[in-house]
Amino acid sequence: MSSHREAPETAKDPVADNTDVYAFVSPDNPDAVTLIANFIPAQKPDGGPNFYEFGDDVLYEINISNRGTAEDDITYQFRFHTKIRNHKTFLYNTGPIHHLTDSTWNRPQFYSVTRVRGGRSTVIGSGLACPPCNIGPRSTPDYAGLAAEAFHTVGSHKVFAGQRADGFFVDLGSVFDLGTLRPFESLHLIPSADAAGVDGLKTFNVHSIAIQVPIKELTRHGNRPTDVMDPGAVIGVYASASRQKSRVFDQGKGRFVGHGPYQQVSRLGNPLFNEVLVPMARKDEWNAVDPREDSSFARGVDHPELGKLLPVLYPGVFPNLAAYAKPRADLHAILLTGIPKGVVPGFQNYTGAVEADLLRLNVAIPPSTKPNKLGLIGGDPAGFPNGRRVFDDTTTVELRAIAGATIPLVDPSYTPDGAASLVDDGTTDTNGGTSSAFPYLGNPGGGYQTQPGTSAVS
Amino acid sequence: MNSTSRRRFLGVAGAGVAATAATTAVPGVASAASTARSSHAATESVVAYVSDATSSELTLLVGEREVVLHDRDLVHRILNAAGR
Repeated sequence: MSSHREAPETAKDPVADNTDVYAFVSPDNPDAVTLIANFIPAQKPDGGPNFYEFGDDVLYEINISNRGTAEDDITYQFRFHTKIRNHKTFLYNTGPIHHLTDSTWNRPQFYSVTRVRGGRSTVIGSGLACPPCNIGPRSTPDYAGLAAEAFHTVGSHKVFAGQRADGFFVDLGSVFDLGTLRPFESLHLIPSADAAGVDGLKTFNVHSIAIQVPIKELTRHGNRPTDVMDPGAVIGVYASASRQKSRVFDQGKGRFVGHGPYQQVSRLGNPLFNEVLVPMARKDEWNAVDPREDSSFARGVDHPELGKLLPVLYPGVFPNLAAYAKPRADLHAILLTGIPKGVVPGFQNYTGAVEADLLRLNVAIPPSTKPNKLGLIGGDPAGFPNGRRVFDDTTTVELRAIAGATIPLVDPSYTPDGAASLVDDGTTDTNGGTSSAFPYLGNPGGGYQTQPGTSAVS
Repeated sequence: MNSTSRRRFLGVAGAGVAATAATTAVPGVASAASTARSSHAATESVVAYVSDATSSELTLLVGEREVVLHDRDLVHRILNAAGR
């Protein structure tokens, strides 16, 4: 599910599990790019008494590559620290929390933002407050107002770190049940009646780190490009979480103590890359290396396992895909190098020949006045895979791409199967929705207000 | 060895081995604790990691730093202390 619990190790370490990355030219501030990285997947809103928070022992980073080398040319680092205001209570809050400074909030979390460029670190902000989790109407009576106190402006940047409604949506229950898609499951190898999709992430929250940065701070020439075909207009983005190399459980302190340099344990550029394209045996390794080392994972892109499975799982539905034996140059371009000029008229987000899973954004393309959640394949070049907006339906885009819908971009001799442009999992965002203003992801569902779902054994 | 000297490491390692000896009573290693600390010695907790018992490489993790050194004698002393 994008990158929620996508690898064996990160599935056991949710605080460091990078679930989604977004990068887009800000619709309400087109001179700035908004970068968002989500962590801590599948949060039940009523998950107390120890509600969710960032790891004080995790280094969170959003990395920018702007010279075509897939190296980290600019990194924004986020470090957190948590306080306990009242050591004599077990409660997260001892009364209603009206403001971030209220003493009734017993476990506030704060963070610093540091920009690293050319080996030089600059602290952009420190002592910045996160909001509490959304507990319920008695504890966090005006959650929207409370969260807004955590929308910080520091110099020319806006920053936010805290709980949000997960903007990603997918039918988890179906896709992991041998790749069935409820709207089309009468055609599945093990058929059943077609049904409406179920958003498996409905009611779940995540923790988001969002930063809005002037475009000229991100580009290789320090300018605000306006020519879409300018190579300097494209940036590559990925987020990561790192832990110190060694963790020793200190019995006296009752917690782990870290030693040594930070080592990356989770990363994410394009949604679903590690989840769908990397074999299980290498997923943890993928998380630990930098994108510039992704050439050894290119085979999973050029010959995706899911592309072979679709014709098997849906007999007779994808005959052209089943017969296609060439390497998938379309996926290779979309995910590993960016789309070079000449493939899609008037568009490119190519970052060079270095194969790297980066979310590539051409910042010269202005925000769309009529956004299409299918992004580029929906005729909207301001959306995925040109960066990614919070409302982009990346599951459908990638599903259709793997099903062969994008092969003709690079191989005009190929005719996609009719189903390739129709498949989806039947879901929409049924969570907190999105906002037209920073930080764009909606307020998280409250613990009291949100009703648990149903469970069925058979 | 990229950021420390062997002498400096011996001081740190000596303290670590002595602490181990206090809880597991490993004989024959207490003498290492007599090595004097240098003025540059680490003052915080240190993790020593021998990833391959057949090599001479020893990794020290301290603060947010990693110190990698190659000292066959020292690795052997640690392996001896850690053995049964």
